[in-house]
Amino acid sequence: MPMLVLENVIASYIAGVEILRGLSLRVEEGEIVCLVGPNGAGKSTVLRTISGFLRPTVGKITFNDKSIAGMPPDQILKHGITHVPQGHSVFPKMTVHENLLMGAFTVKDRAVVSGRLEKVYALFSFLKGRMHEKAGNLSGGQQKILEIGRALMLEPPLMILDEPSLGLAPQTMDALFKTVVDLNRAGLTILMVEQNARQGLASSHRGYVLELGKEKFEGTAQKLLDSPEMAKLYLGGSTDDSPYRRRGKNPAVPPPSAP
Amino acid sequence: MTIPSFHLFVQTLILGGLVGGVYALMASGLTLIFGVMRVINVAHGAFLILGAYITYELFQYFKIDPIASILITMPVFFGAGWLIQRYMLSRIANPEQTSVLVTFALALVLEGILGFIFQTTARMVTPSYTSDAFIFATYRFPVTRLIGFGTALLIILLLYLILQYTNLGRAIRATTQDPRAAQLMGINTSMISAFTFALGLSTAAAGGSLLSIIYSFNPSSQADWIARTLSIIVLGGMGSIPGALIAALTLGVMEQMTSIVVTLYWSPIVFYFFLFFTLIIRPQGLLGEIIREKG
Repeated sequence: MPMLVLENVIASYIAGVEILRGLSLRVEEGEIVCLVGPNGAGKSTVLRTISGFLRPTVGKITFNDKSIAGMPPDQILKHGITHVPQGHSVFPKMTVHENLLMGAFTVKDRAVVSGRLEKVYALFSFLKGRMHEKAGNLSGGQQKILEIGRALMLEPPLMILDEPSLGLAPQTMDALFKTVVDLNRAGLTILMVEQNARQGLASSHRGYVLELGKEKFEGTAQKLLDSPEMAKLYLGGSTDDSPYRRRGKNPAVPPPSAP
Repeated sequence: MTIPSFHLFVQTLILGGLVGGVYALMASGLTLIFGVMRVINVAHGAFLILGAYITYELFQYFKIDPIASILITMPVFFGAGWLIQRYMLSRIANPEQTSVLVTFALALVLEGILGFIFQTTARMVTPSYTSDAFIFATYRFPVTRLIGFGTALLIILLLYLILQYTNLGRAIRATTQDPRAAQLMGINTSMISAFTFALGLSTAAAGGSLLSIIYSFNPSSQADWIARTLSIIVLGGMGSIPGALIAALTLGVMEQMTSIVVTLYWSPIVFYFFLFFTLIIRPQGLLGEIIREKG
C-alpha cells in the first residue's frame, strides 16, 4: 500500500491559472522519491499542496489511506508529514536549541520532547556543540541540517524536502544528500524536489519528471538517469564527459538499496 | 537657553528616567504588535487615553486606586484586543499596507466617543499621594513617577519572561522571525496574531492607568501619545522590545532635559527631532533590523 497518493490533482494560486493540471504520483513507505523538471513545472507547488498551504481544487490526496486534501497545514502536520521549505527557514534570532524545540511545538509531553532532542543531537553532533548559539550564525549547510533536525523532532513518517541543496557548496551538498540517504535507511520516507536533478536522482529510489503541472515520466532513479531522452531534455546536456554526467554514473553518494 | 547646575542636571535625569520607564511600557505593546503582525496600531494612543478615562472613572465613583485598576483594565483590554484582531484586522486584505487606515479610523472613532462623553476638559487622577515625593540625597523622587516606573518595569519584565520562556512566547517570537516557517511547525499563526494584539492592548491599559496619575489628559491627547510612542519604537527599532526600552529612557530624559535647558514648550519637539534623524541616519532604529519584502 503506498504511503502517499496523489490522483489527478489540480491546484492554482489564482483562480483560472492552474499550476498543477491533473497530477498523479505515489510514494511508497521507505522510499526516497525525487521530483525533477524545469522551472515552473509545479514541483514546489506539489509539495505545498501536499502540506496544506494550497488547497487542491480537484483531485484526491491520501496519506496512509486517509484523505488529507484541503486540510489546514497544522492538521496535516499532525498526520505526520513535515515540510522543510525551500531556502532558509530557521528562526534566525532563536538559539539552535530553541529552533529544535519549535519543531516539537505540537508535542505536549515534555519527556517525549527531551527524548527526541537527545536523538537529534546524537544524529547531528555539531548542533549540540552550538546549541546556545543563534541559528542565524550557522552556515547555510548547517542551517539546512538544523531545519531537517527540527523536522525530525516530530518523528514524522514522511518528510518533504523542497530543494534541500539550493545555494550549498558542492561538498556541503554531498554531505547533505548523504544525510538524506542515512535518514532514509533509518526508516524515514522522503519526497524531495531537486533542481540539481542528477544528484537528486542519484540519491533516490524513484523519480518523477514534471512538466507543465503533470508527471511526464516516472521510473526508478537509475532508469531516469540512464534514459538518453531524459539526459537531453532535463538533466542538462547529454555529453558523456560533463561533470554532472560523471556524478550521475559514479555518484558521490552510493545509491540507496531498494526499500 | 539655560545651562543647568549639576544638581538640576541630575534631578532632570531622575525625572526623565522615571517617566521614560512608563513610556517604555506604552511603546512595548505597540512594537510587539508590529513585530508579529507588521501592523502599526495607530489607535494605540487612543487606547492609552481610554485606559486613562476608565481609571479616572473607577477612581471617581468606586474609589479604586489607579494602580489597582490596572488589574481590571488589563483583562478588559485583552479581550477587546482579541475581538478587534479576530473581527476587524484579520478580515482586511493586505493588512501590512491597509491596517494603518483601519487603526487610524479606530483612533478617530474612539477619540470622538470619548469627546462626546467626557468633553474636552483636561482630567487627571489625583490619589492622596499625588504630590508626595521622597527626598533622597537632596533629590526629589515624586511618588507617582516612582510607582509608574516600578509598575511599568514589572509589567515589561513579565512580558519578557512570557516571550522568552514559555511555549506561547516562543511561538510569538517564531512568528515574528518567520511566519511561514512558524506555520510549518504547526503554530496557528492567526491565533498568535490575535493573542499578540490582545497582549499589546493590555499593556496600553496599564500604560493608560499610569498616564492618568502623571499627566493630565483629554480625548485629543491621544494624538500626542501615538506620536510619542511611535517615535520611541522607530528609534528603538520596529519590533524590538529592548530597543523600545532604551529609546523610551533616552527620549524621556531628553524631553525632560529640553524642558529645563530650553523651555517646557519645546520639549515635545524632542520626539519629532529624534524621529526625523533616526529615519535619515539609521532607518532600522537602534536595535531593529532592515526589513526586506520576502519574495
